[in-house]
Amino acid sequence: MSEVRAAVGVVWKRESARIVAALLRMVRDVGLAEELAQDALVAAMEQWPVDGIPDNPGAWLTTIARRKAVDHLRRSSRFDGTDVEPPDVPEQSSGDDVLRLMFISCHPVLDRDARAALTLRVVAGLSPAEIARAFLVGEPVIAQRIATAKRTLAESGVAYGLPGGAELSGRLASVLEVVYLVFNEGYSATSGDDLMRPGLCLEALRLGRLLAELAPDDPEVHGLVALMEIQQSRSAARTGPGGEPVQLHEQNRGRWDRLLINRGFAAMLRARAAGAGAAPGPYVLQAAIAVCHAQARTSQETDWVRIAALYAALERLVPTPVVRLNRAVAVGFAAGPEAGLALVDALRADPVLRDYHLLPGVRGDLLLRLGRVAEARLELERAASLTRNAAERDFLRARVDATVVPGEVTPATAAPSASTAPAGAATGSAGAGPLLGAAADEFLAGLGGATALAYRKTLGRMRRALGERTPLSALDAAGVAAAVAATWPDAAPRGWNRHLAALRSFTAWAGVPRLADDLKNRSVPERSGSEPGEPPDLDGVGLRERTLWLMVQESGAPIGAVLALNVEDLDGPGGPGVTWGERTAALIPELIAGRTRGPLFLSDRRPAPARRPPPADLCPETGRRRLSYERAEYLFKRATGRTLRSLRGLREAAGIPQR
Amino acid sequence: MRYLMLSKTQNNQPDEKLFAEMAAFIEEMTASGVLLATGGLDPAGFKIASSGDDVTVTDGPFTEAKEAIGGFALVEVRSREEAEELGRRFRKIVGDGESLIHQVYS
Repeated sequence: MSEVRAAVGVVWKRESARIVAALLRMVRDVGLAEELAQDALVAAMEQWPVDGIPDNPGAWLTTIARRKAVDHLRRSSRFDGTDVEPPDVPEQSSGDDVLRLMFISCHPVLDRDARAALTLRVVAGLSPAEIARAFLVGEPVIAQRIATAKRTLAESGVAYGLPGGAELSGRLASVLEVVYLVFNEGYSATSGDDLMRPGLCLEALRLGRLLAELAPDDPEVHGLVALMEIQQSRSAARTGPGGEPVQLHEQNRGRWDRLLINRGFAAMLRARAAGAGAAPGPYVLQAAIAVCHAQARTSQETDWVRIAALYAALERLVPTPVVRLNRAVAVGFAAGPEAGLALVDALRADPVLRDYHLLPGVRGDLLLRLGRVAEARLELERAASLTRNAAERDFLRARVDATVVPGEVTPATAAPSASTAPAGAATGSAGAGPLLGAAADEFLAGLGGATALAYRKTLGRMRRALGERTPLSALDAAGVAAAVAATWPDAAPRGWNRHLAALRSFTAWAGVPRLADDLKNRSVPERSGSEPGEPPDLDGVGLRERTLWLMVQESGAPIGAVLALNVEDLDGPGGPGVTWGERTAALIPELIAGRTRGPLFLSDRRPAPARRPPPADLCPETGRRRLSYERAEYLFKRATGRTLRSLRGLREAAGIPQR
Repeated sequence: MRYLMLSKTQNNQPDEKLFAEMAAFIEEMTASGVLLATGGLDPAGFKIASSGDDVTVTDGPFTEAKEAIGGFALVEVRSREEAEELGRRFRKIVGDGESLIHQVYS
């Protein structure tokens, strides 16, 4: 029984794509086609243990599934009141059907995650549990993702009016993208403890090989297959005994799988034949780069000049930051680390790469080759903080620790370029002192709830950008400022200033305030044109606000006391003692406008009957209430972009004593 | 995981039908990305044996014809069950005989 069950499972995996694809042509709904195919599977579970496994199980399942689809169509047409014969569909599914199914499961109406999950489900025949395991997420998440994807497809109606074979192969780009996405997720696992998830790589290879058979005239399909075969050929050599990553140029080429390399070469020949005369596409170019590596018997024999040229061509087609970074690596080998570093440095301000651990990783390698060890260590440490893959993080941390030796013994050799060497290295204490991550934790632990929460976000970003284990002594103000600029490129001034405030607070606490020296506040837009520290431009500001400002400024009295003034205080000797200068005095008659009693500064409105203020705050002549402190601040800020309170700072700066 | 499937030489003579079915089966396995390599083997072969410092080379055949390996296929599959299923289909096509299947350690 269990033997039959296992056989059913295997047959399903191998045949489900063809069965679902054939049904799709009849029912035009991926979800329904899959359900009907599953019904056939259930029938197999019931019948095979009794009758034995049929000679051609796939054909058996297809026949049953077809019958169920016909039944379904008959039933639904009866409900519709129409009497339509089910479409005449050949017994066996053709390759075009499967291609069409792939095209739909990779349709751009779905997001990338949904495309990958649905393709693995309906084309590769994996169960939600298997897909969930491959992507390291919960099974309900995958089940939900697949269900949503099917619904989206049904609602958008993309399964209707499917293009024919010739047109289909012209629209393969999204299918190739999904296959390569699946491969890459397996090959360089973005998270988790393992560097590779071989299951995903093999599924992608399988899909790619299938695709190459279905669309043999498309050079990019063969290019993708060549690329994946050759990359996969290195899988055994990519990790060391402890699971740590081994870089391409350090890999034991004897462990490369020659069988897969030869298959890659063969696929490349097919790509060249299919694309004869045309300019190579991105997958063919990437495959050509992989072929270059595979052809070199030793890493020294690698034709880096050719690889750099291929990357330049690739960059013209796909000018993404990641491609540019890879080109920088190739140029670093072809033309020397200086040339590579120049290209990498040009990428540092690109916000797309701000969390991409390979940028500091590559930069660290180049710096190391240039002998700039102290800087290299910082970069490697940053890379370690940024990667979400545990094996890679351990590897990078180990490299940081390994590069410490020459730097600590003779600081002079560690930092040949004094101007760029961090202070810590210059004093021979590289690696000493508190580490950024630990210091930040300690700082946050001493803070209150809301502040700690706000600061944690800012500092968390900085820790990842600068490296958890980077000693504070190894940082410099320019580096911190550059990291801040790359981390929050689009921050609005207020948000930006908040981040800066958090960092200043931290550096002051940690006893390294110099690290905040290069952080520059951004001016808030409303007060553009006025430098902080200068009085606001009072042109166009209302009479009341202008008088208030001048009186506060000239009298030096607290804002509350100024607002408490009444008209009768202005010339009476028994007033509250707020004095003012000429400029205010010139404005007062206009502000009073003939009033003899009541508050000097009035709000615009009369109070509602239910909210009558005390009689002292009500003007007996106009019925308006006294201007409150909050309202005054609001009005003033709206008019000038500054608060009244900022006068206090101005007065201090001008040497006027506070009262 | 990879499996090396070895089939012993057949007694029956292959006919047109078997050729066509085998070709279709191989094409299908290739298309689905399962079949990495395949080939037929010369039943004679030769043998190298060592005993102490002596290494001797002997020309075949050595065994009864039906014990010799006649062909191989190297497949990449997801599970042992899948390898079994492929072997089962292969046996259905070629008729009576034996196959040996070994997992290839990676």
